[in-house]
Amino acid sequence: MKPLSRRAFLASSVRAALFGAYAAGGSAFAQSTAWRNWSGGQSCQPAGRYDIASEGELTSLLRNTLGPIRPVGSGHSFSPLVPTDGHLVVIDQLSGILDSDSEAKQVTVGAGTRLGDLGAPLHELGQGMINLPDIDRQTVAGAIATGTHGTGVTLPALSAYVNSLRLVTPNGGVMDIDGSDQDLLHAARVNVGALGIVTQVTLQNREAYKLRKREWAAPTEDILANFDELAASHRHFEIFPLVYSDYSLVLQIDETDEPIGEVELEAEPSDDASIAESLGLSENPTPAERRRQSNATAARIQPTESVDLSYKVLSNIRNSRFNEMEYSVPAEVGAECLREILRTIYDEAIDVNFVLEYRYVSADDDWLSMSYGEHPHATISIHRAASADYRPYFDRIEPIFWKYGGRPHWGKVHSLTHRELVDLYPRFRDFMELRRELDPQGRMLNEHLRALFDA
Amino acid sequence: MNSPSLRLLSVPLFALLLVSCSNSGFVAQPGPPPFRSATIDQDVMGKWSRSCALCHISGEAGAPVVGDTAEWRRRLQQGEDAVLANVVEGFNSMPPLGYCMACELSDFRAMIVYMAGLNQ
Repeated sequence: MKPLSRRAFLASSVRAALFGAYAAGGSAFAQSTAWRNWSGGQSCQPAGRYDIASEGELTSLLRNTLGPIRPVGSGHSFSPLVPTDGHLVVIDQLSGILDSDSEAKQVTVGAGTRLGDLGAPLHELGQGMINLPDIDRQTVAGAIATGTHGTGVTLPALSAYVNSLRLVTPNGGVMDIDGSDQDLLHAARVNVGALGIVTQVTLQNREAYKLRKREWAAPTEDILANFDELAASHRHFEIFPLVYSDYSLVLQIDETDEPIGEVELEAEPSDDASIAESLGLSENPTPAERRRQSNATAARIQPTESVDLSYKVLSNIRNSRFNEMEYSVPAEVGAECLREILRTIYDEAIDVNFVLEYRYVSADDDWLSMSYGEHPHATISIHRAASADYRPYFDRIEPIFWKYGGRPHWGKVHSLTHRELVDLYPRFRDFMELRRELDPQGRMLNEHLRALFDA
Repeated sequence: MNSPSLRLLSVPLFALLLVSCSNSGFVAQPGPPPFRSATIDQDVMGKWSRSCALCHISGEAGAPVVGDTAEWRRRLQQGEDAVLANVVEGFNSMPPLGYCMACELSDFRAMIVYMAGLNQ
């Protein structure tokens, strides 16, 4: 059999989960276009949309209208942050680089700028973002508001690189927030879209750089035994544990001055069916059979290495859509939490093919950050194909995250409310109080946000 | 991934390549007017450039490329409403609404016309 690359395995894993036909939803021809998120798992029928072209339009809108509103970026959140029967405020037109400081390596960008649209223009300015998430189609505002992060024990979430931001409050006021008020800045960065609408952001970058990426497969326990050392000795280090397997796909990224290029040891297989067959997915195998077959498949995965500009290495294109749950837990219990999840999937024969994702993120000071505090956190993600019902799987795994003190990613599926969250985030009550001050009428709240913040 | 600036520069080039395309093979659908009656104005083009262009210029993730009339004709054989439904509901790797959160149905209709060259 042919060897596999990590990317080919991930793609085939997703497609295997999608063996059933794509399940279309309801009619597309409602009077006003329904809104749906990236995965299709969240939707709403808004009363209308405000496609704002300027900050002035936004302030005027908020001062002169009533009723619920929700800002929307690129719709990449799996949690119901956006759905409303009020109006959606689209910030796409607030995009692009507004100002740059070549000496300080900073840029001010429109909040609706998509992360993936920043890489090339920043490179032309001699700058690069210090870190990026795995998917880069989010808007800057959305990524920051949800505490979105990349990988790296020394690299905090994207919000930590926000030097200042401009917030239009629910009553149409304009607040320029920077380091002169540290508390306000730490509250406003990861704002979950509950404090108002961010219109521009000043990002701290660094000089443009290249990265060398190495991908391979290895026994999960071998990696976990040395995870702290591996995470500390590489700029980015993470694993994608295979379910029903003793193996993980490993991703290691470091800065380099080497020339750009890619080395594939052997060609990727072209026949997905052969991969599915090797996994035994069409044979309704027992967990033990799946483990044996998955291990055999993992053993065929050959290392690959490549060098490219940082923004091309850090983010990937997703060819299949899915829903995701992600929690952070203290790094010292991360491996044990991961083991319990993998063991549960195996012992209970949960029907899932998607890999998990396990990595470290540096601590930061933003009130609602998953890594708020003094120590790095381990983040663990589980996924389910967009066409499948994610709830049974996620409902079974979520209590395991809670057992280890897990904090949810705001943009991903979770079921916590303020009752639990106040114990997980030391400054949660402060955030709730600030939100009440800025939006006493609760104009920015939908049902989900009300459960999160409106005690 | 190509830079956005390069992508946007490519738009006029692809527009020049658009050729006339007969819709004689299409099955008439009751309800909404046919796509070719849709109008493309600066507002719609702005929305297209900020969202759809991300994938439909480069063909990223298997997206049919703007101006590839043969591919668009093939896809439109399933009916205009079906193509529109794919945009709204999402299809394969394209998310619902194709990343255009500001778009209404009339916008999508105009964008499909533009990309398929039906208005030439």
